Amino acid sequence: MLRYIAYRSLIALFLVWLVVSLVFLLLHLIPGDPAELLLSQGNIAADPQAVAALREKMGLNAPLWQQYIEHVTGVLTGDLGASFRDRAPVMEQILLRLPRTLEVILAAAFLAALFGVPLGTYAAIRADGKIDAFVSLLSSVALSTPVFVVGSVVILIFAQQLQWLPAGGFVPFSEDPVQHLKLLILPAGAVGLSVWAVITRMTRASVLEVLQRDYVRTARAKGLPRGPILRRHVVRNALIPVLTVLGLEMGTLIGGTVLVEFVFNWPGLSGYLVAAVDARDYPEVVGIVMVISVLFVFLNLLVDVVNALLDPRISLGAS
Amino acid sequence: MSRAARKLILPGILVGLLVAVVLLAPVLPLADVRMMDVPGRFSGPSAEHWLGQDEFGRDVLARLIWGGRASLFIAVGSALAAAVLGTTLGLLGGYFRGVVELVTVRASEVILCLPPLLLALLVVTLLGAGTGPLILALTLLYTPNYARVVYAATLQVRSLDFVTAQRAMGAHPLAILTRTILPNVLPPLLVQMSLVVASAMVIESGLSFLGLGVVPPTPSWGLMIRAARGAMEVAPMLLVWPSLALAGTILSFNLLCDRLQSVLDPRQITAGGALWLHRPARKAAAAPQPAAPDAPLLRIRDLAIAVEGPRHGLDLVRRADVTVLPGQTVALVGESGSGKTLTSLALMGLLPDRLAVTGGEALYTTREGTTVDLAQLDDEGFRRLRSTEISMVFQDAAAALNPVLRIGDQLAETLRVAGTPEAGIPARVVDLLRQVGIPDPERRCRAYPHELSGGQRQRAMIALAVANSPRLLLADEPTTALDPTIQAQILQLFLQLKRDTPGMGLVFVTHDLAVVAEIADRVVVMYAGEVVEQGPVAEVFARPRHPYTAALIASVPEGGAERLVAIPGSVPPPHAMPPGCRFAPRCDFARPLCEAAAPVASAPAEGRSTRCIRWKEVT
Repeated sequence: MLRYIAYRSLIALFLVWLVVSLVFLLLHLIPGDPAELLLSQGNIAADPQAVAALREKMGLNAPLWQQYIEHVTGVLTGDLGASFRDRAPVMEQILLRLPRTLEVILAAAFLAALFGVPLGTYAAIRADGKIDAFVSLLSSVALSTPVFVVGSVVILIFAQQLQWLPAGGFVPFSEDPVQHLKLLILPAGAVGLSVWAVITRMTRASVLEVLQRDYVRTARAKGLPRGPILRRHVVRNALIPVLTVLGLEMGTLIGGTVLVEFVFNWPGLSGYLVAAVDARDYPEVVGIVMVISVLFVFLNLLVDVVNALLDPRISLGAS
Repeated sequence: MSRAARKLILPGILVGLLVAVVLLAPVLPLADVRMMDVPGRFSGPSAEHWLGQDEFGRDVLARLIWGGRASLFIAVGSALAAAVLGTTLGLLGGYFRGVVELVTVRASEVILCLPPLLLALLVVTLLGAGTGPLILALTLLYTPNYARVVYAATLQVRSLDFVTAQRAMGAHPLAILTRTILPNVLPPLLVQMSLVVASAMVIESGLSFLGLGVVPPTPSWGLMIRAARGAMEVAPMLLVWPSLALAGTILSFNLLCDRLQSVLDPRQITAGGALWLHRPARKAAAAPQPAAPDAPLLRIRDLAIAVEGPRHGLDLVRRADVTVLPGQTVALVGESGSGKTLTSLALMGLLPDRLAVTGGEALYTTREGTTVDLAQLDDEGFRRLRSTEISMVFQDAAAALNPVLRIGDQLAETLRVAGTPEAGIPARVVDLLRQVGIPDPERRCRAYPHELSGGQRQRAMIALAVANSPRLLLADEPTTALDPTIQAQILQLFLQLKRDTPGMGLVFVTHDLAVVAEIADRVVVMYAGEVVEQGPVAEVFARPRHPYTAALIASVPEGGAERLVAIPGSVPPPHAMPPGCRFAPRCDFARPLCEAAAPVASAPAEGRSTRCIRWKEVT
């Protein structure tokens, strides 16, 4: 098990290196000079002097390999440079906002699993019944509605019309825990909805498949009542592919969180990122993209490890 | 029209309608999307403005249609561009493999390490917002999806005979790729295409919503939703329309993708799920009767098993008669499809979905000395008998053991069913494993099934079956999946179990007559769902009274000297059973009379029976 975790961590580190290099590459692969691109507005060409100054500032005059090494060491030492706009260190802003974003992601994944797994299981047990049809319809709609639409519509319904929950904003947990959680429900629910749909569908398909397996017949042959058969033999095995899918959904979850934070004025990484992209503040954008991508890789690592705990065959295959 | 094509009608019409409307936008009699009318801002629907006016008094319907045009143009454009790029990479990578694969497919997959929306944001930062950068970003984003799909499909097609033949004949790789492989990878490409259009729309509208995508004054659904949020209290419908349009469009493309997928890859999933989970309890379950003192352990009479539902009446087993006395071993033999496994599964109430016992009786005498008719029990009734009264060893232990639970835990769970005190369970688990001959049971009970060898897994399976000391043990080809040396060991284990538990009845399902001779007291020969002959093993083997039994015995290779005599023909499928004797078409002794009516059973000797009218002539 420990060997497996070490092995997966190595792969994760390799992926982080890939991401860091990819961001670097992207910057230099896109046709045109980054400094010139950043300074030009539409068809108006940039002032050559300003471009030269920016090139100097971005270190674009050094040889490519030297830029690459500086880029990688910067990331390794946690130095993501200073913002163009206000010279503030990018890392500081990120560390302030990252936990808030992480909170929304985890709350969304938790809500999605909390409602997705039981509903998917029930839909499979009562396959082709009325509830199954309803859940299937609901998940199709949930999968097809972009997260910012869901966010806007739930504000319209729950905040504006029904007035059950606040429309948005943020209060630190330490100041007012209840209000903090109230403010968290709608954004987390909005992000979690599409993940809920994926989990529900996957659970249903997976449970249906596991029900046909020989070991479920063995469990019945042992005289077990249906509760333990479903819990210990069916759901536990069915969850393995569901968890894999949850890992694949992390990208959607992170992208969704960026949009939802914007919708609900949640002061996570998103607002910072959108402002940075809008101002085309290159160090800020690269820094945030890098941190979120690394987060993405590590959330996937977490999913892999939990998966290995559920299915002992996985860790055996790796070592 | 085929079923498949019918499935595509609804999503086809929806997507077709959407495309037609946005294509026709310039010629439709729509209001100017930029025409402002400040006094009319936020007005509701009217004859001139069907969906009302927005915060600048612009016509909502026109903006909705033109916005859809922008969204679809970007989504379809980037989906096509990514398709061309990704397909090229995938074809090259899949066809040439090696280094080419590394620089095409694998290199493009690096993009998947980044969350999609972030990659798009990065491109927009560098190039600025607008339609061009959006298409570039989305193309970059979805290229690996196509590359992967096409790569996988190419690998499959590449190894097909006709492609290998073309390569051998020296056809140019480019010609093979474009003429042979490309048409074959089109179906998965089509599915991918509809999927990508849908998710490209999600990203595009998201970016536009953030103000980083489509640039005003070009109308776009994302921008409309962004603007409507500010006016939610005055005009909530301004939010609803573009939301509906966006979700509806994406839903249509997703539906198209789903349907395409199910048409192209029709994988059959059992409708209705597992029936045992919600089969209603039988109302008229007969109360248990006290059994006669000399009642056998099990008496099956005239048992019939058939397919339920529309194809009702298709009987897979009929007229099965088997009797098992306490301590007796009865072997059920026959070719595949003879119904021997179904018969044993029926005794446990474990028949596959859609099959059911439709007639006859199977009287079982319980430990308390009462008689239960297994043919009448519901699932709950069976549950009370399983494992403590009747138990089963399955053929494929690797599949029959739960892969994610330790062997010891699976055994402990079984012991709990019989109410074994919790404190005694660990010791009993180790005892059981030792009893079935698993070495080092204290450690082995912590192993997962995949950590055991094939023979040990079957031993663990047997330990599960005998854990609660059942009175009737059913063994369904327990040695078939094993190596010959392991087979012999498992057979020894069964013989030892019989010695250790003298009162236990054993029904041993096999097609191996050598095994029958070694372990069984009585043999029941089944053919095409019927019991054709039965009797004491020695007598039946010495003097078979049914041509099928004789043929089976003749087909056993003896000492390697004699030639293997195979029985000509095969077991008829259940829907094409001959009307008379089911073996007649393959029988050397068949007469016209045999094909006229099903023969009744005759008793050639005490304790024997045969379903052949010419049994006297067989041997």
